[in-house]
Amino acid sequence: MRRVTKLAAVVLSGSLGIATLAACGSTSDSSSTTTSPSGSAGAGAAGGGVKVGMAYDIGGRGDQSFNDSAARGLDQAKQQLGVATKELSAGANETPADKTQRLKDLAEAGYSPIIAIGFSYADAVKTVAKEHPNTKFAIVDSVVDAPNVTSLVFTEEQSSYLAGVAAAAKSKTHKIGFIGGVNVPLINKFEAGFTAGVKATDPSATVTPQYLSQPPDFKGFTSPDLGKAAAQGMLDKGVDVVYAAAGSSGNGAIEAVAAKKAWAIGVDSDQYKQDALAKSRDAILTSAIKNVDVAVFDFIKSVKDGSAKTGTVTFDLKSGGVGYSKTNTAALDAATVAKIEKAKQDIIDGKVTPPTTVKQ
Amino acid sequence: MSAPSPTGDKTAEALAGTTGAGQAARLTGRRRLSPAVVLLIVAGALVAVSAVRALTGAQDVTSPGQIAGALTMAVPIGLAGLGGLWAERAGVVNIGLEGMMILGTFFGAWAGWQTSPWLGVLAGMAGGALGGLVHAFVTVTIGVDHIVSGVAINILALGATQYLAKLVFADKPAGSPKQSPPIDDIGSVSLPWVSDWLDKVAAHHWFLVSDVAGILGGLTTDVSLLTLLAVALLIGTFFALWKTAFGLRLRSCGENPTAAESLGVNVYRYKYLAVIASGALAGLGGVFIAMVPSHIYNEGQTGGRGYIGLAAMIFGNWRPGGLAMGAGLFGYTDSLQLRNGGPSVHALLLLVAVLLLVIALWRAYRRRWTAAVVSAVAGAGLLVWYATTDTVPIEFVGATPYVATLLVLSLASQRLRMPKADGLVYRRGQGK
Repeated sequence: MRRVTKLAAVVLSGSLGIATLAACGSTSDSSSTTTSPSGSAGAGAAGGGVKVGMAYDIGGRGDQSFNDSAARGLDQAKQQLGVATKELSAGANETPADKTQRLKDLAEAGYSPIIAIGFSYADAVKTVAKEHPNTKFAIVDSVVDAPNVTSLVFTEEQSSYLAGVAAAAKSKTHKIGFIGGVNVPLINKFEAGFTAGVKATDPSATVTPQYLSQPPDFKGFTSPDLGKAAAQGMLDKGVDVVYAAAGSSGNGAIEAVAAKKAWAIGVDSDQYKQDALAKSRDAILTSAIKNVDVAVFDFIKSVKDGSAKTGTVTFDLKSGGVGYSKTNTAALDAATVAKIEKAKQDIIDGKVTPPTTVKQ
Repeated sequence: MSAPSPTGDKTAEALAGTTGAGQAARLTGRRRLSPAVVLLIVAGALVAVSAVRALTGAQDVTSPGQIAGALTMAVPIGLAGLGGLWAERAGVVNIGLEGMMILGTFFGAWAGWQTSPWLGVLAGMAGGALGGLVHAFVTVTIGVDHIVSGVAINILALGATQYLAKLVFADKPAGSPKQSPPIDDIGSVSLPWVSDWLDKVAAHHWFLVSDVAGILGGLTTDVSLLTLLAVALLIGTFFALWKTAFGLRLRSCGENPTAAESLGVNVYRYKYLAVIASGALAGLGGVFIAMVPSHIYNEGQTGGRGYIGLAAMIFGNWRPGGLAMGAGLFGYTDSLQLRNGGPSVHALLLLVAVLLLVIALWRAYRRRWTAAVVSAVAGAGLLVWYATTDTVPIEFVGATPYVATLLVLSLASQRLRMPKADGLVYRRGQGK
């Protein structure tokens, strides 16, 4: 009897171990290799033999926010340019070494270009790009100075400035809230631009900032419940417009705001159109849009055409890399739109330069 | 259940030497707090908080919104802690609470989105109970170390739900590989007209009156039905574990399983029951996270609250009332932090400083000079910090729950007593 028990223990713990390994594998390596039919038909003809390696940030494909926007660009490239792709995702609680290893794996498997999504890849890209000088790299949201790296950055402060103009125009209490996912320089940029936009439109208005978590804890980008609690705190204090730059945590904030019939401002993509927010969409005044998909697609296309730009490529209001949405026509009246358009023109003309850092 | 059965009586005798709270208290020379003393302490704390609020103008410290937020943050922690309580009272350490919560979020959302939220609640509890069953089988039947099994369950649950979410949510409208489509609201209740009236009183910021109104208002306005269920389960657990023969037998398995078995208690069965119940409660905590503060399953949304629940239970000395207090403390500070807590935490600095100075005086009166000096220096330091700043850095606000726990645990740790056979592997018949 005892031997049987022991055997059972061994088998069970063995299978547990294997399952655990499998589970680990799936957290850090949700991969899918797809070659488009045309690519496999004519060897190297369609797609020019371009194999795109994509490394997502935490959240990965399916976060209905930043990473999904990048994924849209990749999907578009797959369809229109017929490139082969491989996608890897960052897991929660991973170390910088994991990121470096992920890029290394892609490079050694012959993928070029390799696109790293998110500022947290900056050091990893720097290291791996040096080791693989013949591989092309791109990084979104950060600048890495190397001959084979293209840095795709956005002027989020400009789109956030426009969001601030919209918020100030709509606020009746002159109290406006900003919810940032994680307190990092990238999100500070959103806050700085937003606050400047509010102040320029309504000097008497105040902006209350609230960050959901502090680095290295990045749960603030993936916790709708935290977003909701923060938004409720603001609403209780009389805030009537809330701008959430917090990944999927922003959905919770938008829900809370909608329940109180206040205004919410979405981020990254046009959140008015998202199915997940269908119930709250009337409260979404506008969204500060960041076209990561455009950046990703343009970059892949330029690599395929052999005209890849290196150095820093900035996507701003002028080039349409960032902007704001006008889909909620019931909320955005003509006067507000006129104010936003004027601010937009001022920024494009260089008359106004939104700040990128928060004054302490 | 009310009629004491022979087995219950005998177990009681067998356990008298180890579990009697009175005996334990006598041994350590401490008195148990009587209800009147507890009420006095609560009233004193209220007056102190109220004074701090009036002095500093940090109105959010007891506002209804803050209290309601604290309650929402506290319930999942409390449910996880309650799960931990069931398991540990039967002698099984359950570090797998986090994994069982994850199972609860996934299965709750999976069923809740397709059918009704209440079926989701059942499915989530079943999912958590499944995790509990695995833990019970591995630890009780096979005798694997409890920590090893718990950690394995945490990893397994995370991996399994990630895999399943990709299968069932990815191609649904408004779903994605990491998120479920939205679930309908489970509904909430307010005390008719009382809660409105309380909110109005709270808004006047009167000394003490508004604080009481704020706390009561927060606890009676828009309370989710799941919160009520959680409170009922907390009270039910107290009665089930401390007032019935079933509970006595279950706890006997955690104190002295050999003695329990010699008296005819089926130790394995009780451990199984306890760990499965533990999983179901943790699963309910997961369901709460997926359904009340948000309306979706979202990968990684438990955010380590299973572990915090375990900490709350230890904080509460393996008792339901204590663990509710622990969960409340975590919930309160979590909520403070999310509601622009800089000014509020700054105001509470003053409270802690004054408390430390009072403790210093008390220690000095008792001629405990070292403790007195340490408390006095710490209190004075906080007072200086309070006086020289207007707010506390947001980094510190984020750390508040943990600092508060460390403080309270370091003050109360001598009084903690875990079940005697907690975490030990028990083999049937090992006492022979």
